Amino acid sequence: MKLLAATNRYFMLLSIGLFAVGSGVLYAGVDHAVRNEVEEQLLTQRQELEAWLARGQPLPAAIFSQQYSASLRPRPLGYSDTLLLDPNEHELVPHRQLTFRVAGGVGQAPAWVTLRKSLVETDELLVATVGSMLVLLALLLGGIVVLHRYLSGRLWAPFRHTLAALRGYDLQQHQPLALPTPGIEEFAELNQALTHLSQRLVADYESLREFTANAAHETQTPLAIMQAQLEQLLQVPALADDAAAAPLLAELYGATRRLSRLHQALGLLSRIENGQYTDAVPLDLAALVREKAEQLAPLLEARDLTPHLHLAPTPPRRLHPGLADSLLHNLLHNAIRHNVPGGDVTVHLTDNVLEVSNPGPVISGDPARFFERFRKHNAASESPGLGLSIVQQICAYYGFKLSYEFVPAGARHTLRVVLHRG
Amino acid sequence: MKILLVEDEAALRSTLVDALSQGGYVVEVAASFAQAYEKVKLYHYDCVLLDLTLPDGNGLDLLRVLKADNSPAGVLVISARDGLNDRVTGLDLGADDYLAKPFHLSELNARLRAIIRRRRFQGQHHVAFRDLLVWPEQAEVLVRGEPLTLTRKEYDLLLYLLANPGRVLTKEAIAEHLCGDAVDAADSFAFIYTHLKNLRKKLQEKGAENYIRTMYGVGYKLSVE
Repeated sequence: MKLLAATNRYFMLLSIGLFAVGSGVLYAGVDHAVRNEVEEQLLTQRQELEAWLARGQPLPAAIFSQQYSASLRPRPLGYSDTLLLDPNEHELVPHRQLTFRVAGGVGQAPAWVTLRKSLVETDELLVATVGSMLVLLALLLGGIVVLHRYLSGRLWAPFRHTLAALRGYDLQQHQPLALPTPGIEEFAELNQALTHLSQRLVADYESLREFTANAAHETQTPLAIMQAQLEQLLQVPALADDAAAAPLLAELYGATRRLSRLHQALGLLSRIENGQYTDAVPLDLAALVREKAEQLAPLLEARDLTPHLHLAPTPPRRLHPGLADSLLHNLLHNAIRHNVPGGDVTVHLTDNVLEVSNPGPVISGDPARFFERFRKHNAASESPGLGLSIVQQICAYYGFKLSYEFVPAGARHTLRVVLHRG
Repeated sequence: MKILLVEDEAALRSTLVDALSQGGYVVEVAASFAQAYEKVKLYHYDCVLLDLTLPDGNGLDLLRVLKADNSPAGVLVISARDGLNDRVTGLDLGADDYLAKPFHLSELNARLRAIIRRRRFQGQHHVAFRDLLVWPEQAEVLVRGEPLTLTRKEYDLLLYLLANPGRVLTKEAIAEHLCGDAVDAADSFAFIYTHLKNLRKKLQEKGAENYIRTMYGVGYKLSVE
């Protein structure tokens, strides 16, 4: 739940409670006051009547039967509510009545007098008073809620801006976050802390990247010496005397080769990140795919795989030749490596989509992690697990969209690269 | 055939000299840009093996000098620097070929031979080995005068062996030569075996001697004995 919605909810709950209690209290209060007023009027009339009687005057005749009646039979004394039929409007009208006993004069029987007052007008007054008060209260509460919403929206705007900046942040652009300093102190501090954090991140990332690049480069020369000398050592005739010696050397040679390939891959990755491949020439991707498939034909044959190339003629695309080569090589090699014997490698190339698919066993794990460095499907594999990282890096470099898909029917894995037009 | 090796790393330089001399080349060395500059100005070479990272200069400048002088020498760039960019720049500047360090010596041999063949004989040159005669330009193989039909990869394999007579070729080197680099070794050994078996069979059918030796656990060798 949003912070704003959460605070607003409590605010609304409080308002509704206050509103309910307030209207109850207001109603009861006004009602009470009005009734008091009516009762006081009735009491005054009673006193007037009693004074009138005390002067020896007889009980007046009942002129307005609704408001005054007298009876010789006893009636319940005191105040009470009653409903009387209004003869003009033919509806029951609530009345407040006061009944009291008057001692009759000499030789006269005591009488019970009832004074009444209609409550219709007072009800209307009540409705008008309470109604207007409630409307006012509602407007006030509603106004406060709206104002609160508006204000918090405005006050939290820097926070949302920061959040959007963080979400769109890409460490590989080598730029620290540039967050503004908003007027609200807390947000200003937050932005400052985040900017500082991103600066440190960029610096760390930068030094790590340089380290990788330097390490990869500096090891190539010793590796070149090792490899060349091992190969020369393999030519020594004396090796024939010991059957175990040559295979041992060959293993060493193979390991050296693996190490240097690993370094080349790492170096390539860091150079792509550095944006060192700005040269671009128009390339015919379809021809390149055909060339690569031809080059990898022995591997396909060895695994009994059939290549299916569906290559629509596409206009030349401007890419770095080395990167294009590496992209296709790694995509195809990946499809060969994770294939099943007797399977196929299918390449679809259209104007703006390159798709490489192959059958293969279900791969457990999160597909997004396949693109991580040193991610191997088979831990014992000789491959260092950098192929798809390189593919991803090249796609990111050119802004191509790369996606992976597994279709259980036919157990096909598909890697799709959405190329830009033109 | 005379070769100038421009390489500043002493250990690598001496190993390369050994290997190239075994391959029948006359090798001169230069350890710096200045030495190399002097030598290419004074002498003629069939091919210059050029390292790009030199202590006192950039190998690409030497390549520019050679091209400006219209030198007939072929240029094979060997570099430990960023492979993809140097390859493009080097080839743009007119280098004949490019090899990223570290490389297989047998691959270096094969590339050198191809360059010299193209340069010196304008391609009109054959490779002869015992009863074999190969015309690389026409991709034609003759066994005792009879044409031999090979698949593309079998032919590449044969030519690679012929470029390195008497040398042990590792499986890695063969695999990378046939499939381009960055091919998993484990994946590729099976196909090398298949192609070699087929090649041997075809050679035998034409009555050629079996001079492709299997070096157990290592690779293969074209025997000269």
